Amino acid sequence: MLEMNQLSKAFRTEFVETYALRDFSIHVREGEFVAVTGPSGSGKTTFLNIAGLLETPTGGTYALDGHDVSRLADYERSQIRNEKIGFIFQAFNLIPDLNVFDNVDVPLRYRAMKGTERRRRIEEALARVGLSARAKHYPAELSGGQQQRVAIARALAGSPRLLLADEPTGNLDTQMARAVMELIEEIHREGATIVMVTHDPELAARAQRNVHIIDGQVVELGRSEPRLAVRALEA
Amino acid sequence: MLHYYVWLAARSVRRNPALTALMVLAIGIGIGASITTLTVLRVLSGDPLPQKSDVLFYPQLDPQDSNDYRPGEEPPNQLTYVDAMSLLNANRADRQAVMSGGAAALVPDKQGLDPFAVDLRYTTADFFAMFEVPFLHGSPWSATEDAAHERVVVISRELNDKVFDGGDSVGRMLRLDDHDFRVVGVLDAWRPNPHFYDLNTGNYDDSEDAFVPLDSAIDLGMGRHGSMDCFGDEPLSPDETLRSPTCSWLQFWVELATPEKQQAYENFLVAYSEEQRALGRFERPTNVRLRGLMEWLDYQKVVPGDVRLQVWMSFGFLLVCLVNTTGLMLAKFLGRSSEIAVRRALGATRRSIFAQFLLEAGAVGAVGAVLGLALALAGLAAVRLQPVDYAELAHLDVWMFGAALAMALVASLLAGLLPAWQACSVAPALQLKSE
Amino acid sequence: MDIQPILKTLRHQKTAALLIAFEIALSCAIICNALFLIAHRLDRSNMPSGVAEAELVRIQVGSIGEQDDDNARIDEDVAGLRGIPGVVSVAAVQQVPFGGSSWNSGLRIAPEQKNSVVNATSYFDGGGVVRTFGLELLAGRDFTADEYVDFDTLFSANGDQSRLSSAIITRSLGEKLWPGENPLGKAIYLGKEPIRVVGVVAALVRPSIFDDSLAGYSAIYPVRGAQYTQYVLRVGDGSSDAIIEQAAVTLRELQPNRIVLNTDTFTELREEYFQQDRVMAGLLVAVIAALLTVTALGIVGLASFWVQRRQRQIGIRRALGATRGNVLRYFQTENFLIVTAGIAAGMFAAYAINRWLMQHYELPPLPLHYLPIGAFALWALGQLAVLAPALRAMQVPPAVATRSV
Repeated sequence: MLEMNQLSKAFRTEFVETYALRDFSIHVREGEFVAVTGPSGSGKTTFLNIAGLLETPTGGTYALDGHDVSRLADYERSQIRNEKIGFIFQAFNLIPDLNVFDNVDVPLRYRAMKGTERRRRIEEALARVGLSARAKHYPAELSGGQQQRVAIARALAGSPRLLLADEPTGNLDTQMARAVMELIEEIHREGATIVMVTHDPELAARAQRNVHIIDGQVVELGRSEPRLAVRALEA
Repeated sequence: MLHYYVWLAARSVRRNPALTALMVLAIGIGIGASITTLTVLRVLSGDPLPQKSDVLFYPQLDPQDSNDYRPGEEPPNQLTYVDAMSLLNANRADRQAVMSGGAAALVPDKQGLDPFAVDLRYTTADFFAMFEVPFLHGSPWSATEDAAHERVVVISRELNDKVFDGGDSVGRMLRLDDHDFRVVGVLDAWRPNPHFYDLNTGNYDDSEDAFVPLDSAIDLGMGRHGSMDCFGDEPLSPDETLRSPTCSWLQFWVELATPEKQQAYENFLVAYSEEQRALGRFERPTNVRLRGLMEWLDYQKVVPGDVRLQVWMSFGFLLVCLVNTTGLMLAKFLGRSSEIAVRRALGATRRSIFAQFLLEAGAVGAVGAVLGLALALAGLAAVRLQPVDYAELAHLDVWMFGAALAMALVASLLAGLLPAWQACSVAPALQLKSE
Repeated sequence: MDIQPILKTLRHQKTAALLIAFEIALSCAIICNALFLIAHRLDRSNMPSGVAEAELVRIQVGSIGEQDDDNARIDEDVAGLRGIPGVVSVAAVQQVPFGGSSWNSGLRIAPEQKNSVVNATSYFDGGGVVRTFGLELLAGRDFTADEYVDFDTLFSANGDQSRLSSAIITRSLGEKLWPGENPLGKAIYLGKEPIRVVGVVAALVRPSIFDDSLAGYSAIYPVRGAQYTQYVLRVGDGSSDAIIEQAAVTLRELQPNRIVLNTDTFTELREEYFQQDRVMAGLLVAVIAALLTVTALGIVGLASFWVQRRQRQIGIRRALGATRGNVLRYFQTENFLIVTAGIAAGMFAAYAINRWLMQHYELPPLPLHYLPIGAFALWALGQLAVLAPALRAMQVPPAVATRSV
C-alpha cells in the first residue's frame, strides 16, 4: 500500500543543507496497522507530510496504492489526497464555523458526488463514530474526545485507502484517549490500513508493527517492542 | 460546486460583518461616484439625432479681411448673411437651413396673462424636415413663405398650452413685439440634447418657444440672441449688420446623404471661396470646413471640461477604493489560513480555494453594486438640483444600470484576485504552525 | 527606535504593506491636486471685479416692439430711478461685470497696424458708470458732459467715428498696450480715428471671460443709447429687494409697453457666473473627505488584522522585557514607515497627475507647498488610524507567549 524507497528530504538554506529524512525506506502492506515512533526532531513529521502528499521528497521514490506519487504536481497530489488518504490530526483541525455535519462534508465536496450520496456517507460515518445525535452541533460545543471522533468520521467518510494519524490522542485525557484508540483499532479490524505517528510507547504498542525513526532514518523494531532501539550504525 | 462556494461566502460574510461592511462600503461609494459622473458624461455626449447625425453637416467659410490674420486658424463659427444666402440659393444640398436665435416679447390674447419674453429661432423652411421635428398640428411653412417674408410662426407645445390652452391653434394669430404672426404649425415635444444646431444659447438648452422665417424677423428688426462677429473697418448700425457681408452671426446646416455628395459640397465651398476671393471680397486664403454633426460638437467642446474632470476624479477614487478593498480582503482571507490549510490537506486543489475566495469577492461586489446603485441614484438627484442647463437630463438609464452592476462585479473580482491568489498559496498542513 | 527589525518583519507582510503604501500614494497624489484645484477655483470665483458689488443692482428691460433705445426715454428712466429713495446713483450701460453677454473689440495703438494688440471688452457708458460702479480712478478723470456721443452717431451708415474721442481703460489693459509707460493721453484705435485715454481705473472685470489672463482688459467709452442698454443702481444701505421692486414699478409706469427681463444684484451675478467653480470646489472637498475616510478605515482594518496575527510575537516580546510603550511605538513606527514610503511615491504621482491636468484642463503647475500639506495630512491620518489597533496590541499580556496554540 505505502512504499517508500531511499526517500530523502533536504532543506536548503543559504549555507547549510539539512536532511530531515535520509535514505528512508518503509513498506506498509494493505491492512497493516503501523506505528511510527521517534524523539522530537527525528523526522516523523516530515515522514507524515510526505506520506500524506503534503510535501514532495527531494530524492527517492514513494508509491501509494501501487502508483508512483513521488513527483506529482500539486493538482494531482490534492486529488489523490482527497480520494485515498484520511487524516486524523493531533489538533483535530475541525473548521470552527461549520457544524459537525458540514465538517465531515468538507472533503466530500471536493469530489464529484451527488448530494444524496454525500449525505448518506456522512450519516454513515457519524453513526460509525457514535455521534449521529450531534450532527448539528459546533466543534466548540463538543469535548475533545468528541471532536476527535468527528475528525475520524471526516477521515472515514471518503472511504480512504490509507489512514494517517498524527498523535491522535495527544490533546485528550486518558479516558477519551482510550475511547479514541478503541475506535481506531476497531477501524483497523474492519480492514483499514493505518499509519500512526506517535511518541507515546503505550500507544505504539497497540499497533501491529513499530517503525522507529532517529535522525531521519529508519531503525525498525519488531512487533510491539516498547524498548528504545539501539541506534544503527551508518552503512 | 458553485453553490457550495456561494453558501460558504454567505457564512463568511455573516461571520465578519464589520469587515464585510467596510468592503461593501468602499466598493459602493466608489461605484456610486463613478456611475453618477459617467451618467452625466453619457447624457451630455450623446447623439442628439442618432437617426440623422451622419448626414448632417455644418459648413464654415472664412470671409474675413487680412487684418489680424494668423495662418492655420480655424474659420469663424458662423456665416454672414450674404454667404449664407448665397449657399442657400445655390441649393447644392439635399436639404439646408439658415438660422439664428432670437428673442421677443409675446403679447398674449388671453385674459390675465401678462406679456412675457420668449426664445425664438429665426430660420428657413427646411429646418423642420431636416431635423425631423415632430408636429402635433399643422405643418412647417414652405420656401414660398420664406421668399415672401411672410409673418408665419410655428410654436412649441408648451407655448401652445400656455397661450392657446392646448388644442389646434393653426390659423390663429400670435403677437410678437408689435407684430402679428399666423400660426401654421404646433410642434410636439422636441428637445435634442445637446442643443446642437446653435451652441450660442446654451449647450443643453431647452428648444425654442417659437420659430419664425429668418427674413421676416430681420425685416421687422426683431431681437437677436447669439453672437455676432464683425470684421473690417466700416462702422455699421445694428440694423445694417444683419444683412452685411462683414458680420457673421448665422448658423447654416446641410443634409448630404452620401459621401459623394459630401465631397461634392466641400468642393463647392472651395469653389465659392475662390470665386469670392476673385471678386475681392474674401481677403484670406481659402479656408473651408464641412464638419459632421458629432465632429462639430466635438470641435466645439460641448461637454464641459469639468464634467470630464469629474469622471476622472471618480475613477481615481474608485481605484483607491479598490486597493483598499484588496487590502481588507487580504486580511480577511489570510485570517482564515488555518481553515485553508485544513481544506487543502483534505484534498482541495489550489483552484478550488482560488474559486472559493474569488466568489466571496464577487459576493462582496454584488452587495456593493446594490449600494453603488443607490448612491448613484442619490448622486444624480443631487445633480438634478444643480442650476445647470443639463440638470433635468441627469437620469439613470438601463445601460448605466447594467454598467453599474458590471463595474461593481469586475471591480470586486479584480480586487479579490490578489487575495484569492495568496489564499490558495497557503500550504496544506497537518500541524497548526505558530505564525 | 531600531527600524531594521521592523523592516524585516514587514517583509513577511510584503503584500499588505505594499497595498497600504500604494493606497497612500494614490490618495496623496489625488489629495494634493484636489486641494490645489479647490484653491484655484475659489481664487477664480473671488477674482476682483473692481466695482462696489455689494451696493449694485441691475435692471434689464425689453420693449414690446421696436428696439427703440431712445435717448430721451433713457434719460427719463434714469431720472425716475434716481428718484427712488435709497438709490444713490444710476448708470445706463450696455453690459455689466459677470453679466454674460459682452461687446468685445480688437484694439490697436497705431492707425496703420494690421493686427490688433489685444482683444478688450467695451463698456458703453451712457452716463454715470465710473461713479455708480464705484471704480477707483488711479489717474486721469471721469468723462465730461461734452465727451458723450450717441450710439447712432457712431454706428450707422453716415456715422462719424471721429466724434468718439475719449476712453477710460483699466490699469492691466494699459500695461498690455504700452508696457511700462503711462497710458494717459495715449491713443487707441477701434477704427481709423484715435481715441485718447483720459482715465485709468484700478480694475474692471469683463462680463464674460474666455481666458482668465485676459479677464481684466476693459475699456469704457462715453457712448449713450447703445443697444441693449440696462440700468445699474447703486443703493445705499437700503434693502435691494425693495428697491428692485420699486424700480420695476417705476420703469413700467414710465413706459407701459415693456417687460422687465432681468433684475439681479451684482452679488447674484457673480455667484451665478462662478457657480460651476464653487460646485466643483464642493465636489472636491467631498472627494477629499471620502478618500481620507476610506484610507483611514483601510488602515484600521489591516492594522487590526496584523495585531491579531502577531499576538504570539507580541506576547513573546513582552515576556522578554518589552514595555507596553515599546509595543505601541513599534506599531506606530511600522505605520509611519509604510505611510512615508507611500507619501514618497505619492509626491511623484502628484506631479504626474498635475502635468496631465495642466495639459488637458488648463490648470497651472502645482505649487510646491501643497506637497507637505498632503504629506502631513496623510501622516496624521495614518497615525490616527493605527492608534486603536496599536492600543489593543499594547494590552496583549506576556502570558500569551507561554500558552500553546
